[in-house]
Amino acid sequence: MPELPKLNPVIHGKLRLALLSLLTGVEEAEFTWLRSKTGSTDGNLGAQLLKLEEAGYIAVKKKFVQRKPQTLYRMTEAGRRALTDYVVALKQLLGGAIGD
Amino acid sequence: MTGNAEDLELKERLTLIETMIAEGRRTTESWGWTFVLWGVAYYVAIAWANWGRPNLAWPVTMIAASILTGILASRNAAKRPETTVGRAMMAIWLAMGISTFAVMMSLGMSGRLDLHNSVAIIGAMLGAANATSSIILKWKMQFVCAVVWWASAVAACFASDSVTSVVFLAAIFFCQIVFGIYGMIAQSRKQKAARAGQGVSHA
Repeated sequence: MPELPKLNPVIHGKLRLALLSLLTGVEEAEFTWLRSKTGSTDGNLGAQLLKLEEAGYIAVKKKFVQRKPQTLYRMTEAGRRALTDYVVALKQLLGGAIGD
Repeated sequence: MTGNAEDLELKERLTLIETMIAEGRRTTESWGWTFVLWGVAYYVAIAWANWGRPNLAWPVTMIAASILTGILASRNAAKRPETTVGRAMMAIWLAMGISTFAVMMSLGMSGRLDLHNSVAIIGAMLGAANATSSIILKWKMQFVCAVVWWASAVAACFASDSVTSVVFLAAIFFCQIVFGIYGMIAQSRKQKAARAGQGVSHA
């Protein structure tokens, strides 16, 4: 019997998974936009983004727009690969359960 | 294999991924106000050209509308993420605007600009931009606008002055004002629906 794949624990967290999925559709996104899309608190969002950054799945850029600081996040190639692998593993684990 | 509860949990993860990817891509559609703004700008330019100074009316109004669009768009852009689709939309409208402005200004300065060729050029350009945008965004209503603009461009080549004027005014009303308001309402409904279905607040 083939061995079942393991799910990446960094991505498996609900909020981290949501953040990576959101970032696949955009080139880069601001902290406040991510907060509004996920409905999370500043502290929790910051902590989860930091975990993704430490894993090398997202990159952070800080800049000023109209004198206001902006923190922009974008997905890295490693992040894209990790999410793809996660989805493949998820589908393998679910097997026939998909579409039930 | 995994148990039912675990399966359900994993399925939820898959749904979350799909929902968030769709949510991330749904960020370039709030442009209804630009259609209304430019519709009003066309009407202002037409009225000014008819009852005021025709040489100044179009260039001044178009430049003013461009500046206003730029200011409002940059304010909105600060709140939204940059997407490839968003940049494609901007490229289409910017290229269309520059092309139309360059040709119209050149025709105006050479004394060869008249009602028929100006409506034909504007109609063809707006038809092309609306069609391209509608295909990228898969927005059928916008393709209807493209067809209306193309029809007005063709009509301008054959019809009389009065018919060309009426066709142009009607095309502006339907494709800019009505479509713009429709776009704003559709966007506001989508935003409300998105807000209702949000909330991934824990790790």
